[in-house]
Amino acid sequence: MKSRIKLLLAALSLLIAGTAHAAIDVFACSPEWGALTGEIAGNRATVFVATTALQDIHRIQARPSLIARARTAALVICTGADLEVGWMSMVQSQSGNDRIQVGKPGFLEVANFVPRIDIPGSVDRALGDVHPLGNPHIQFGPKQIQLAAEELTRRLVRIDPAGEGEYRARLTDFTSRWSAATQRWLQLGAPLKGITVIQHHKNFSYLFDFLGMRQVGSLEPKPGVEPTSAHLSDLVEQQKVEPAKLIVRASYQSPAASEWLAQRIKVPAVMLPATVGGSEGAKDLFSLYDDCIRRLLTALPG
Amino acid sequence: MTQQSSKNAFNPAISLILNGTWGRFGDDPSTRITGFAPSGGEVIPGRGGSLGESELFLSGNIDPYFRGALLAALTPENTVEVEEAFFETLALGKGFTAKGGRFFSGVGYFNQVHPHAWDFADPSLVQNAFLGRNYGDDGAQLRWVAPLPVLVQFGVELGRGREFPGAGEVERNRNGAESQVYFANVGGDIGVSNAYQVGASHLRQRTATDGSAFLDYDDITGTSNLFQGRQRIDGLNFVYKWSPDGNPKYRNFKFVTEWFQRRYDGDFTFDTTGVAATDAMNAKQSGWYAQAIYQFMPYWRVGGRYDRLSHGNVGLNANAANLTPPDFDPTRYSVMLDWSPSEYSRIRLQFNRDRSRQDLASGEAITDNQLFLQYIFSLGAHGAHRF
Repeated sequence: MKSRIKLLLAALSLLIAGTAHAAIDVFACSPEWGALTGEIAGNRATVFVATTALQDIHRIQARPSLIARARTAALVICTGADLEVGWMSMVQSQSGNDRIQVGKPGFLEVANFVPRIDIPGSVDRALGDVHPLGNPHIQFGPKQIQLAAEELTRRLVRIDPAGEGEYRARLTDFTSRWSAATQRWLQLGAPLKGITVIQHHKNFSYLFDFLGMRQVGSLEPKPGVEPTSAHLSDLVEQQKVEPAKLIVRASYQSPAASEWLAQRIKVPAVMLPATVGGSEGAKDLFSLYDDCIRRLLTALPG
Repeated sequence: MTQQSSKNAFNPAISLILNGTWGRFGDDPSTRITGFAPSGGEVIPGRGGSLGESELFLSGNIDPYFRGALLAALTPENTVEVEEAFFETLALGKGFTAKGGRFFSGVGYFNQVHPHAWDFADPSLVQNAFLGRNYGDDGAQLRWVAPLPVLVQFGVELGRGREFPGAGEVERNRNGAESQVYFANVGGDIGVSNAYQVGASHLRQRTATDGSAFLDYDDITGTSNLFQGRQRIDGLNFVYKWSPDGNPKYRNFKFVTEWFQRRYDGDFTFDTTGVAATDAMNAKQSGWYAQAIYQFMPYWRVGGRYDRLSHGNVGLNANAANLTPPDFDPTRYSVMLDWSPSEYSRIRLQFNRDRSRQDLASGEAITDNQLFLQYIFSLGAHGAHRF
């Protein structure tokens, strides 16, 4: 009898301990924000990642599973800048979750807190699917990631004040590792400085800016519009005037157009992971950058 | 980090849908589906060129507690219809959302889909016959999502029964909720490539005091007929979507099927020039459709649909002497091809082999080959669509 009571007490204390340390549910719109949440929150958060590196995040649908996961989330972390415009507002309004609505600490759109490039002077749909708020593929800007980590920490502290010490300690640790890694990538990527590149869609503009590479064209004739043969011919012509050294596409894009052009202009075509999980090597934010730079270096001719 | 400071930073999101159809019909398109009460909301594009309804959609957050939306349809007849005008709560939490105003009901699956997002130029026969184009009401809706990793959602709606099936010629003038809808949806993913949703719904209404017309005999025999009593519609639906690696950009597939059954319990009055005969009426009719859409390369989709209505049992008792109950099952095959060079434009070619109308002399179906060429363009804010 005594041992049974002991067992019961032990189970009860485990249960209470379990509740006291109950992890908060975090809904990450894409893998990079899932990985960043893992860095800052550790075991204090259970992260659900809504998309993969093989999916075009512009084209996701408000699937029932996403609504279900958003229902229980204490925090939704997305890119913003209209990247998730086609589905996130539907997920929010269907979820019945007051904590993740616009304006609440539980809804974090990272792009609102970081500098963005490619902000168009004027917008018109005739220019394609332009993003009036600038290039939303901010996961490839080391500075942007650092700012995102800081804002995420502020949000986590507001949502889960009991974890403040842990979140701040993890942010400090992340900051020093990230800053060291940033220096390392600059050294590693030094041979890429000044290299001209054509990319499928402007997925990697922040990375090219960081490494000092020069973008001389896109396979898409207009943002969001699939490559056309007329536009590819223009790129072949352009090669005579402003030659590109590399052609880059993201993991979710069809290789057809970049490989066609690569054969034509005798320039290597490289696939880069669009985000964490987009290649064997890209397991977290650090290895995502490592893998991208290594792939660019490997492909670099001569 | 540009900060918006102009006055229009608080403007609601606005989008405008333009659409039009060129139609070719063998038979007169205004003839109704045989054996089923006219819903009044049938959408059949006319012969030749016809402008569809232009939809104006405005939506935005009102404050931290509510969001609001208006959908106005500018009809080709130069009228403006308020299709939806509702508020929805943002702050109830615990999975609850309340909605009030005029809105498309949660009954069925396609009922809540706006015409510009349909996969065919016309709605299914069963949608047309039982619910009109989009069944909406003035009232309130409460939804709840369960805290589970798969979607489990329940909803209830109370309304005045403004539209078919319960509405009559005269506006309702009664207190209380004359119309109720209950619905439940379950949905989730199977692996990364497949997503599904299963739904069930139930609608019940009492007819307005002046009743509602039952069968399409008014045009044919010059008599009037009226049903008064209770109508119930039960529905089941299933939606399945597939795309390689869950990326619908290049290729994707969508399958939808819905089944509805409608029951009448009440009194039927058959009136030939002032000589009314009233007796009990009990009827049960049903219908279903199944459709599949495949995007085989970027911008291009092909689709097929099969429609069938079952005339069921129409028990007219004494009035069976006055009216012959329907003995005909309408069917239709449709195929379509559409091209969407961007998310904002779509051009569609559709062919229907329609056998939804009966030649009353021979009792055989009239085969009507129908052809549509349709455009749908959307301007302005990028809307978020339902699953």
